[in-house]
Amino acid sequence: MSTTTSTTRATPSPSSLASSTKFKTFAITFAIVGPVIYMVCLFFNWPLFTFHPATNRIALGWEAARSGEGPNMTWYGWTATTLLAGSVVSFLATLFPETVTRKIPLILVWLIPFLAIPYLAWDLRQWWFHP
Amino acid sequence: MDIISVNTFWTIWLLVHLLLAVALLGALTHQAVSAVMPVRQVAGPGGFVTRFRAVPAAGYATAICVLWILTFIVGSYIYTKYRIYIRIPIEQAGYWKTQGFFDFKEHVASIGLTLLPAYWFFWKNAQDPQYDTARKMVTVYLACACWFLFIVGHVLNNVRGFGS
Repeated sequence: MSTTTSTTRATPSPSSLASSTKFKTFAITFAIVGPVIYMVCLFFNWPLFTFHPATNRIALGWEAARSGEGPNMTWYGWTATTLLAGSVVSFLATLFPETVTRKIPLILVWLIPFLAIPYLAWDLRQWWFHP
Repeated sequence: MDIISVNTFWTIWLLVHLLLAVALLGALTHQAVSAVMPVRQVAGPGGFVTRFRAVPAAGYATAICVLWILTFIVGSYIYTKYRIYIRIPIEQAGYWKTQGFFDFKEHVASIGLTLLPAYWFFWKNAQDPQYDTARKMVTVYLACACWFLFIVGHVLNNVRGFGS
C-alpha cells in the first residue's frame, strides 16, 4: 500500500517575498484593480501608446492609423496603461497600515476577472454581429 | 548575409510561442486539477486521474508565472506580424468571429497577467487556509484562460498561420 498526501499543503518554507505583508497587499490590489483598469482602458480607449507595425512607429496615447502607413495597434498601449496604473495604485495601497489592507475582500481577486469575461464579450460585439 | 529567411525566422518564433504555451497548459492543468480535487490519501497505486492530480502543485507556481510571462512576451512579439500578414487577410475573407476571438484572446492574456502576483502569493502561502478559495479560483481561472488562449491560437493558426 502506498500513501500520497495532500499536494496543496506541501509547500516549501515561504521566501521573504511570499511572507511580506506589503507584497501581499500589492499582489492582491494589483489583481483587483488590474482587470478593472484594463476594462476602463478598453471602454475609453486609453492606450499609453499606439504602435504602427508597418512603420515601427510609436506614438504617445491613441493615434489613428495613417493613410498609407498600415494599421495601428493599441493592445500594447492598453496593457502598458494597465500595468503602470495598476502598479501605482497597488504601491499606494502598500502605504496603508495592515489593519486597513487586510480588510480587502479576497473574493474580488477572482470575482472581477470572472465578471470581466461577459464585459469583454460585450465590448467585442462588433465582431459577433458583423453583417 | 541572411542565415535564415524572414518566413523561417517568424515561424521559429511562432513555434517557440507554441512550445511555451504547451508547457504552460500542461503545468496549469495539472495544478488546477490538483487544487480542485486534491489527493488526500490513496490506498494502492491509484488510476490515471489520481496520478494526474497527485502532483506537488505548489512547486509549479513560479514556473507557471515565468511561462505565462515568456509566452506573453513572445506572443506580443509575433503579434506585430500577425496584425499585418494574418489579420488583414482574415478581415478581407470576412472571418469576423475568428477575428473577434483573437481580440478576446489578447484581452484574456492581459487580464491573466495582472493575476500572476496574487496567484504566486497564494501558492507560496498554500499552508494558510484563508487563501484556499482564492487560490483555487484564481488557478482555475488561469487554467481555463490558458485553454481558451491555446485553442483560439490553434484555430487562428489553422485559418492562416504556419506555412501561409
